[in-house]
Amino acid sequence: MLKEESSKPTVAEGPQKAFQLVQQIGEPRVLGWLAVALVLVMWEVVVATAHLNPIYLPRPTHILAALFTMFSSGGLLTDLLATLGRIFGGFAISLIFGTLLGTWMATSERVNAIADNFIAALYPLPKVTLIPLLIIWLGTGGPFMLAISALGAVFPIVINTVLGIRQCDPGLVLAARDLGASNRQIIKMVLLPSAVPSIFAGVRLGLGVSIILVVAAEMVVGKLGLGARLYLAGQILETEQVFAVLIVLAVLGVIVTKAQDLIDTRLTRWRA
Amino acid sequence: MAARVAIQCDGISLTYSAKAGAPVEALRSISFPIAPHGVTAVIGPSGCGKSTLLQIVRGLLTPSAGRVIFIDEKTGNTASRKPRMATVWQSFNLFPWRTVGENVAFGLELGGMNRSERAERTRRSLALVDLKGFEDKYPRQLSGGMRQRVGIARALVMEPEVLLLDEPFGALDAQTRLVLQEQLSRLVETSGTTAILVTHSIEESILLADTIVVMTARPGRIAAEIAVDLPRPRSLATTHTAAFSSLFDQIYGLLRDEVVKAMATEMGNV
Repeated sequence: MLKEESSKPTVAEGPQKAFQLVQQIGEPRVLGWLAVALVLVMWEVVVATAHLNPIYLPRPTHILAALFTMFSSGGLLTDLLATLGRIFGGFAISLIFGTLLGTWMATSERVNAIADNFIAALYPLPKVTLIPLLIIWLGTGGPFMLAISALGAVFPIVINTVLGIRQCDPGLVLAARDLGASNRQIIKMVLLPSAVPSIFAGVRLGLGVSIILVVAAEMVVGKLGLGARLYLAGQILETEQVFAVLIVLAVLGVIVTKAQDLIDTRLTRWRA
Repeated sequence: MAARVAIQCDGISLTYSAKAGAPVEALRSISFPIAPHGVTAVIGPSGCGKSTLLQIVRGLLTPSAGRVIFIDEKTGNTASRKPRMATVWQSFNLFPWRTVGENVAFGLELGGMNRSERAERTRRSLALVDLKGFEDKYPRQLSGGMRQRVGIARALVMEPEVLLLDEPFGALDAQTRLVLQEQLSRLVETSGTTAILVTHSIEESILLADTIVVMTARPGRIAAEIAVDLPRPRSLATTHTAAFSSLFDQIYGLLRDEVVKAMATEMGNV
């Protein structure tokens, strides 16, 4: 009787530990990364055992090796920096211009009426279709890259700035006026801060479009940049390099998204 | 020291054009005096334009006719400058992205006061409403009653010569309302400011005011001016006195027909 009782916990311990492990694997975060690892391993194994032509599908380990060489001796870092410069340069222009124009539109019915039709016409236009025209006007150098990047981001930022400012509680404007705020102070200290969450939603959309457009433009005309590198690698059937550039772009996307999340929570701490 | 200011509303009318249909007459030739360093309550049915009247006094709205005259109590003449004024709002109207301290300091910041003086005055003002140590909280972290105390502190920090109270307790529960009424009553008394209280609560108007101005349904006109000479400090106990009851009945009698009229107008608008 006594023996049986004392042996019970030891019997239960094995399954319990296994159960805990299963539970840990079942955690959504862990499961997500496990799935990635599993796909990579299967990819490696299948390509190696089936002897697939690496022109179609190279092995993940070989892609990593290619990535490493491209960074260490192939100048990929220069390409990455060029692309980043174009994306964020154009984006910075559109952030400043877009917020200013949006603010002006939201506070002046006339400006709004003037700008509205142009925006309605340009906003839905796929921006890649503007690449030929911009090349004719600006050539294929820096100004062209900045212009295409800025064009991608500016519309979502303008539209969201207008939206955010219009949604500002009129009571807050009254309160500011009561405390002695001038029109300029109301814009700076009430309307813009209240629109920050909305403007940031525009920034998210806009930056995404900027990335797409810069890489696409580089693929068309570039000698430098991730898009150019990708296109060249494809032309000469260097599939490992193609994958390597794709990885860099994907990681860039993840970093940008996570950074935005971080900034977003900081900027909108005051909300629920 | 703040100058003591009396106010004279002189034939104020406001008619505004509605988007659809005929122009709306909100106020019709409103004239009444507001005594210095006391509380004048303006009471009336909803939609009678009492909050609009407050914004006209503040200068946030321009009347179609009439004017607001500020009188310097010392000289008895029209004041040479507009008095300092600040409003406490029914919906608090705190800036949600600013902390409590930053909200209170807003008006001082607009005026270009330096940081250390701003902080000092903010601290003092928050202490007046028992919110010491809440500087770094955001409005959403506070209860309704605490938010309105921030609203009161934000107005008081401006050292207003005229304090405008736009249904300041309308959004609060009954208990909070009672406590804040007493607190505000004390603050107004000690600061010597001239206060105008817009309310739809008869009880609140009697507890806080020295004079009650009763308004009619739209278009808002003055139905009566009633002096309240109940002793101070007034509290919940005051509401059980015979004097309170008779005042209450008098005002209710004036308001009842107007409320019915206001309801009829609202029905017509639906």
